[in-house]
Amino acid sequence: MVDLSVSLGRLRLPNPILVASGTFGYAREMAGLVDFARLGGIIPKTVTQKPRIGNPPPRTHETAAGMLNAIGLDNDGLEHFCTHHLPYLRTLPAPIIANIAGSDADEFVAMAARVGRESGLAAVELNLSCPNVAHGTDYATDPAVTTRIVRGCRDACPYPIIAKLTPNVTDIRVIARAAADGGADAVSCVNTFVGMAIDWKRRKPILGNITGGLSGPAIKPLALRAVWQVAGLGAVPVVGVGGIATVDDVMEFIVAGATAVQLGTVNFYDPTAATRIVGELESAAGHLGVSRIADVIGSARVQPG
Amino acid sequence: MTAVQESARVLANDRLGRDTYRIRLECPELASRIRPGQFVMVRADRPNDPLLGRPFALYDTVLDGQGAVVGIDIVYLVVGKTTGLLAQSAAGDRIGLWGPLGNGFRPIESAGHIALIAGGIGQTPFLAYARELLGTRGFAGSDPKKRAERVTVYYGVRSAEYAAGVSDFEAAGCTVRLTSNDGTIGVKGFVTDLVASELPADRWIACGPEPMLHAVSDLANRLGIPCDVSLETPMACGLGICFSCVTKIRTPDGWDYKRVCVDGPVFDACNVVW
Repeated sequence: MVDLSVSLGRLRLPNPILVASGTFGYAREMAGLVDFARLGGIIPKTVTQKPRIGNPPPRTHETAAGMLNAIGLDNDGLEHFCTHHLPYLRTLPAPIIANIAGSDADEFVAMAARVGRESGLAAVELNLSCPNVAHGTDYATDPAVTTRIVRGCRDACPYPIIAKLTPNVTDIRVIARAAADGGADAVSCVNTFVGMAIDWKRRKPILGNITGGLSGPAIKPLALRAVWQVAGLGAVPVVGVGGIATVDDVMEFIVAGATAVQLGTVNFYDPTAATRIVGELESAAGHLGVSRIADVIGSARVQPG
Repeated sequence: MTAVQESARVLANDRLGRDTYRIRLECPELASRIRPGQFVMVRADRPNDPLLGRPFALYDTVLDGQGAVVGIDIVYLVVGKTTGLLAQSAAGDRIGLWGPLGNGFRPIESAGHIALIAGGIGQTPFLAYARELLGTRGFAGSDPKKRAERVTVYYGVRSAEYAAGVSDFEAAGCTVRLTSNDGTIGVKGFVTDLVASELPADRWIACGPEPMLHAVSDLANRLGIPCDVSLETPMACGLGICFSCVTKIRTPDGWDYKRVCVDGPVFDACNVVW
């Protein structure tokens, strides 16, 4: 029997397998197909203060071992989330981590305060890194703004705060440290990489939004590098995300320094992957001879000389 | 009914027309839950290429000798990687599958004459629906019951070699009215022209390329004939979690993007913003 529980600052999870925001709807869509009780946690789709209609289609495009998406935070707004989705989500037998995106620092804080008054959440993840919104919400390119938003949300909301970071920066360690300075319980590394696809015969970009975020197995080595770098700071627990699709991927991220992981794009093409991987984690941990998965976090070593 | 994910065994894969095949998949759990107009996501048994599943309509359920539901048939046109791989698959191969997905066709209790209007590969969801309407097969646990007096399938193809499944529709008790762009089969011209000249039936249901659906929808609206359309948009998940397959649907205060996979694929033609 392996203890799969992990802790991220004030947040304790039954196991390290989360499903990523924007890849699991509001969980309702997966009822019956996925056994929620087996998940380490559920992060529903990003909610914004006001409803957003989202970007024009095509919103996704498959690429080599990956996909581009430019959904544009299509959602019905925070009040609808609190009155329509949360009453369902809080009945589920898995920790629920709300994911919010404000249009500026003040709105982030107001939203964190609003969800902070709702019962039944395990944590709040701040989407500081959506690449697909005009005049973006990719605040996590600026360390000062990152610190200010995280600190404001931490002060305004009783739940643990996770900052979801963008990889589209020169050095993600700077931003991760800024989030830690603001009091983040954890940082999620990483959101999607900005990319694009072109139809050369029609001589035009394929996505309605022109650019989109790349996800899926194609970005796994890039995400793994970011997790390794940020975990190496020792400043804040890391949630690894980016192309994770198998138990081997999960173990790679954990030994690289991730305390937990999020499964994202794989939910689209293998909807029962998350629960299956939870079942496979015990034997993977057993392979390393530990009785607690937490004991292998960041255990990857670089041989000196 | 909620969806299930299964690894389905290929039982058969037969050519029905040019680039068009019918694949028979053993998937008893899924097959016993699905009803006409719903779809499944199919993923080739490969690691990452193609990465995502592709949506396919239920063509028909497959019964064993005792009448138990054991699988489904899908009819597909080879257009890309996944359909190319499907065309190469043989009995005994395995493919990934999840479903049933989507709302399915409007359940009709009692009707006179129903017209099913198909263009291109848009005939594929109609065989199961015709069987349900004519009461020759029950789906998702319900008993067969005659729900319509008569079903006519209006089916337009580019040319004769693409006509696929015509004998299946005839065997199911439908009248089939064919058109082809080049006149090699049926009436020469577009299926919409034939429908416009015959103005059949009390209710229309259409599936096919968007310009065809638009034309059928306009005609139905003008004549006041109730009409549903089954839409096809690119999908990443089929489950409603990715929000990519959206289309504009009328709302009381304008329009909103709705997910074709969970809010559709069948919509009242009046509500689609073309």
